[in-house]
Amino acid sequence: MSSGSDLEEVEADPHEEEELGRAYDGRLLLRLWPYIRPYRAQVFATILIVFPMFALELAPAAVVAVGLNQILEAHDLPGVEAPAEEGVRRGNAELIEFFGPTLEVVTEAPAGFSSEIWLGLIFLVVTALLTGLTYGHQILMATTGQNAMRDLRRHVFEHISRLQMNYFDSIPVGRLVTRATNDVENVTEMFSQGLVALVTDVFKMAGYAVVLFMLSPKLAMWTFAIVPLLAFAAVIFRLKVREAFRSVRVKIARINTHIQETVTGMKVVQLFTREQRNLADFDRMNAEHRDAWHQSIKYDALLFATIEIATGITMAIIIAVGTGVAEAGIIYIFIDYMQRFFMPLRDLSAKYSVMQSAMASSERIFEVLDTEPGVADPPVESPAISNENRGRVEFKNVWFSYFNMDESRGGFDENDPNWILRDVSFVVEPGEKVAFVGATGAGKTTVIKLLTRLYDVNRGVVLVDGIDVREMLQQDLRHRIASVLQDVFLFSGSVARNIALGRDDLDEVAVHRAAKAVEAHAFIDRLPEGYDTEVHERGSNFSTGQRQILSFARALAHGAHILVLDEATSAIDTETEAAIQRGIHVLMEGKTAIAIAHRLSTIRDVDRINVLKGGRLVESGSHATLVAAEGHYARLYRLQSQASAIADVVAERA
Amino acid sequence: MSAAASAEGADNTEGNSEHGSEQHAEVDEATGDSPVRHALRRLSVYILRNWRYYALWYVIVFLYSAAMNTLPLAVGWAIGGLIDPAIDRATVIDRCWLIAGLAAAGGICRFVSRLLVFNAAREVEYEIRNDLFEHLQKLPQSFYFRWRTGDLMSRCVNDLNSVRMLLGPGLLSVAQSPIIFLGAFIAMTTVSVKLAILMMLPYPLFVLMSRVIGGRLFLRSLAMQQSLASMSNFVQENIAGIAVVKAYAMEDDQSARFAEANEHLRTQQLSLVRTFAAMPALTGLLPAAGLGMVIVVGLGEISAGRMSTGDLFAFAIYVRMLTFPAFMMGFAISLVQRGASAMQRIDEILSVEPSIADRPGHADIKSLRGAIEFRDLGFRYNAADPVNSDTANERDAALEEINLTVPVGTTLGVVGPVGSGKSTLASIIPRLYEVEDGQLFLDGVDINDIEISTLRSAIAMVPQDSFLFSMSLADNIAYGLERDAPEEAIRTAAARAQLAGDVEDLPFGYDTLVGERGVMLSGGQRQRTALARALALDPSILILDDTLSAVDAETERRIQASLDEVFAGRTVVVVASRVNSVRNLDQIVVLDGGRIVERGTHETLIAERGLYARLAEEQEKDDEQSRIQDALQEAEGVESADAGAAAVGGGMDGAGGGG
Repeated sequence: MSSGSDLEEVEADPHEEEELGRAYDGRLLLRLWPYIRPYRAQVFATILIVFPMFALELAPAAVVAVGLNQILEAHDLPGVEAPAEEGVRRGNAELIEFFGPTLEVVTEAPAGFSSEIWLGLIFLVVTALLTGLTYGHQILMATTGQNAMRDLRRHVFEHISRLQMNYFDSIPVGRLVTRATNDVENVTEMFSQGLVALVTDVFKMAGYAVVLFMLSPKLAMWTFAIVPLLAFAAVIFRLKVREAFRSVRVKIARINTHIQETVTGMKVVQLFTREQRNLADFDRMNAEHRDAWHQSIKYDALLFATIEIATGITMAIIIAVGTGVAEAGIIYIFIDYMQRFFMPLRDLSAKYSVMQSAMASSERIFEVLDTEPGVADPPVESPAISNENRGRVEFKNVWFSYFNMDESRGGFDENDPNWILRDVSFVVEPGEKVAFVGATGAGKTTVIKLLTRLYDVNRGVVLVDGIDVREMLQQDLRHRIASVLQDVFLFSGSVARNIALGRDDLDEVAVHRAAKAVEAHAFIDRLPEGYDTEVHERGSNFSTGQRQILSFARALAHGAHILVLDEATSAIDTETEAAIQRGIHVLMEGKTAIAIAHRLSTIRDVDRINVLKGGRLVESGSHATLVAAEGHYARLYRLQSQASAIADVVAERA
Repeated sequence: MSAAASAEGADNTEGNSEHGSEQHAEVDEATGDSPVRHALRRLSVYILRNWRYYALWYVIVFLYSAAMNTLPLAVGWAIGGLIDPAIDRATVIDRCWLIAGLAAAGGICRFVSRLLVFNAAREVEYEIRNDLFEHLQKLPQSFYFRWRTGDLMSRCVNDLNSVRMLLGPGLLSVAQSPIIFLGAFIAMTTVSVKLAILMMLPYPLFVLMSRVIGGRLFLRSLAMQQSLASMSNFVQENIAGIAVVKAYAMEDDQSARFAEANEHLRTQQLSLVRTFAAMPALTGLLPAAGLGMVIVVGLGEISAGRMSTGDLFAFAIYVRMLTFPAFMMGFAISLVQRGASAMQRIDEILSVEPSIADRPGHADIKSLRGAIEFRDLGFRYNAADPVNSDTANERDAALEEINLTVPVGTTLGVVGPVGSGKSTLASIIPRLYEVEDGQLFLDGVDINDIEISTLRSAIAMVPQDSFLFSMSLADNIAYGLERDAPEEAIRTAAARAQLAGDVEDLPFGYDTLVGERGVMLSGGQRQRTALARALALDPSILILDDTLSAVDAETERRIQASLDEVFAGRTVVVVASRVNSVRNLDQIVVLDGGRIVERGTHETLIAERGLYARLAEEQEKDDEQSRIQDALQEAEGVESADAGAAAVGGGMDGAGGGG
């Protein structure tokens, strides 16, 4: 029946055939323990409650049996006088001996009560208690599970936020979202429906078996004769169903990935009239998923029916074997307990499935949690900065690659093409403005990423305010640097929130001041709700130019003393362009500024230009000096002037 | 018989739907057809479509009920033999065979019944999922402005799952329980009418319970689903914007916000559990009450000599037998409630009428030659819609009084400042947005009268955002082509888009998987792939919407040169922010504030000394800057031995920044 949530792996890589199958893994459960530990008192309580619950579940049958015996004895009806046989308990005296004197006290009707009314009252009390306990047990179990999973979810979220940037380059966003949401949901389900229910069931089943064996070993032996057969069936079932469930999960993951992608790329789908073909592909995947389910439905229904048939047959066996050796009361107890024994086996398949997906989910969660943040905070507070170093930035012999450069094995290979920065050294003095130029892939953006410590260098040192960035808390470092990135990301929430970005100390006045300084105020004011206007998903209700100007306001409001600017290349109309240039000017004022410059105006504004080529810093100086120096920069500048003139002529002729 | 049975099955769901809708109506002040009722009416269509499954199933349910309800009588009979010394053991054992036989018959019925219902549920799930997908593909862009992807996904995945649970275990139990209870009642009256009535007496209470709890359950599960979705969205955004989160040291603030959403989710879930667990607890009381009756009345009847011990056993077995269905009923009611609210959420999508659809009496044309005419066209985005990025401030008309003719085989350039309506103008030609009748004509036919598939197959458009699918590069380029497109077509398109050179550097060439949204490629490569995708077609009309912003100027020039060849014989519309991209075109219009303010050719417009001339002048200045960039770029390509590293680094930068 229920197969847990299908949502897992909404974004799964369709090419990834996930390893899924085990429904129990002690190692994983052990790792979940720290999240349960704070709530161990509750866990202990949930386990303890099972004992009185079990006792109360035993009670009704005992009450009926005693009542039945009392009446049969009182009226001297058949059913009590069965011939005695070794090992079969009969009569109330023996039942009371077995269940304890409590049974005698409670079943002895006081004066004024007829025996059946009294037994009915006792039954009422037992039922009320049991209902209350069961409900309490469920709530306690759910609360414990939810509390623990809230902690786990938060841990996963915070851990993901701490991971270094290249982790996010390699893993699709959706998959990480799934870790923090649906995978945690699956583990929660294991607590509420899988594991605890399973443990409780096993405990109770053992309890019933023990009680029946003590009551009558011979009858009990016959009662459980069918169990080995069932156990064998269960093993076969487990093997079959495991493959069926796995296949179902892989298929649903594919389907959901396909939907997700089609929805995001719907404009292209419609423009290229791909609807029919997409639908055909989708239908095929969808049908495969449905057919995969047919398998697991078959096994599930088979198991369910088998247990039901086994219950009926066992009932027949009890009566057949009991004929002539046991009396009515005890047969009643046997039939009742036997049914309770078999009951939990019926939805074994559902529990198995819950456990299986929970194990797979927790495995995936721990995979994320086991990823050490490549960029970690030092154990101590950031060192204090001296005044003369405030705003100073220095790279000392920096080597960097996005790939894992295993220097221990191959040694240090200078010529490895994977190096993005090669032995880069430069200093930016406090208040100085420096531009980086170079082709795509020359390493400009990387310089910024290392400076803000989104990545760590492989060799060399990056110093900000005279301190190695690795010795600073990342938060401290990033408070010192205001970044304006090429791709402006806007969060949902108000425009004001997108400028303040979580800084409580930035009030309305500060936000407005920043917005005015970069000329954002005018267009924000024109929005329907001004600063309170909601930003839509990924800022789709703002133009590229407006988004950039908003990011300037952001950077300005944060008031750091170092500015890092990755100028956007996208073509923008002249008016906005002018506003952006003025904004950049305002931003740079009084700060150490490092810009990846595309605009000539920015290049002219800076004190110095650093030219990067193939990951090396090849030249450094002002525009005038560099042109005068007749170096790389100058040569290229002239060369290109000619080249573009020729290209223009060619283009016009064509 | 079978048709009647199926109708009954459907009625049963309807019965429950009324239930849910009434609950809902109380809080939703719905007038007439409430959302839940509407949703369940839609669901019943799917159920009726699979009536064969359900009809057969219902026959099986009757057989099952008969077998299972005879079983306790057989047990009573056998017990009667067990306690009666007058009956010998062999006779009792014969009676036990009857028990075993009935159990086997019941079990087989049970197997078939579960098989039928669960497979039917899967069939309906399959059909709804197909219909959802098909429907989503029909919905226009304005829909996707309004709905978040995460929200849509949650409906397609979680809610569909809940609907399936409604149709599987939910329907199974809700529809078969009455039959089983009725069978049990009839069987019990053959033993003792008095006890039978007494035992069944508490069950009507069930209706009351499910009404009280069901409504609450519906609301709480809705609240929980919403809170789960909003947390999902939050996580999604945090990861998509992780670069900003880190750069602005927002981690603590984001954590605090997450903790809030997390706590809210926990509270919602617990409040749901409190109601959810109450249902089986309360329904468990019903059979308990039955057993109470057996104790009090049954024992009394025996001592009065009106009932045998075997009869008492039969009743006790009935009580136990009904325990599971009663428990399942409670569970099923919650599944039905949850499923109903989920179906409502799915129905919300399916009920959105595609505003852009073929008309019944559309014109009978199968191909277009490519003449475009705008006749006094005006366009405004729906006030309820978030406007698209080009028109952030244009809550009023995005386009006004556009009169423009583009003859077959000529080229049109559209320039203008941000928000002037350029993209909108381009997007309404393939009918991505809806215009009213009598405003836009292709080959002289009103665009709304042309079949959408005919219209769009005649047009190739390169949209502003170059979205790629996570397939191979070749499959992306061949996206608009027939299945198994010739390799030659793909190579030619790639060459024209100046992509062929890049492909050689990729690890698996054309078979390289480009990753989610094309993350494995750099921004420029993505744009050129999107261009190649359009050039692979053989369209009458080609539309380029500011296509090459991330391509460097030199590559752009090479692309322009190859485009001239592609342009020949086609109607071409080029939207551009820079005058350079349109200077050689036959006709240029300048938009400002949604109106055409200037029109002509490059030369006449420059001579006019208006907005166009000003844009050109500004650009002249900017060009100097791009020259430095281009020079560096080109020299890098020629001189550097590290071209591979550069390409990889570029891809990395793109991936890191693109998020």
